[in-house]
Amino acid sequence: MLPTQCPSCQEQLNVTCLKCAHCGTEVHGVYDLPLLARLTEADQQFVLRFVKSSGSLKEMATQMKLSYPTVRNLLNEIIQKINDDEK
Amino acid sequence: MKSNLSWSSLFNPFTRIAGWQAFFPGLVGILAMSIIGSYSGIVFDGVIDVHFSNVDVLTALQYMGFSMLALILVFWLVALLLSKGFRLIDLLGTLTLSKAPYLLLAIAGFFAEAPDAQMIISNPGILLESTAFLVVTAITIPITIWSVALMYHAFSISCDLKGSRATVAFIVALIMAEALSKVFIHYFV
Repeated sequence: MLPTQCPSCQEQLNVTCLKCAHCGTEVHGVYDLPLLARLTEADQQFVLRFVKSSGSLKEMATQMKLSYPTVRNLLNEIIQKINDDEK
Repeated sequence: MKSNLSWSSLFNPFTRIAGWQAFFPGLVGILAMSIIGSYSGIVFDGVIDVHFSNVDVLTALQYMGFSMLALILVFWLVALLLSKGFRLIDLLGTLTLSKAPYLLLAIAGFFAEAPDAQMIISNPGILLESTAFLVVTAITIPITIWSVALMYHAFSISCDLKGSRATVAFIVALIMAEALSKVFIHYFV
């Protein structure tokens, strides 16, 4: 799992180096992590499930053995995190 | 871990069940407690009201029906005002199931009988002589707290409301629902 927070001060980490696995070329700079990559592992798993179930919260609730409103509330929390991150 | 899960399920089963899944067992519960209560001398004449009283089955069902109507109506209106999105069936199902603990009191009514009101007025000490009555009266408190805790979680999860906003809205809604249930029962039963 890609680390997204600084282990020392808990601030958001940035990408400073990318490397081509084929030729070894390295690209250096300061790049923001993509929005979805900034979510926690659990939240990313939730988004993956959401996409895989074609956005059906009912299907997700059955898979996760949770009630429909609980799954909808989890989605609302992720939406809120993304909105906060975008500001 | 397992016992923690059981305790949390006891006070907040709504993370796992809601909607029709909660409504059907809840409906069976409120019908059973009304019918059993009419035979055991316990009446549920309000959103969180329990009294020793002998009423027929039809009246007991009417009390329950109007109490539930008041509860659902008020919480639905509060949810419309405060929630960004909710399903009525989740609110209906979870709130109906929240009344389930009162079934224990309907059954407990078989083991106790309230002393006659006239006798209590002439000799209040008679209450202390009726141990079964005192025990049933005492267990009313934790059971009511349990049911109210369930109602809070039902409201909070169904409407996605948390924190002090949810707590204040819940308290206000519960008081309004209790008052409305008394109005309904007074005028329609």
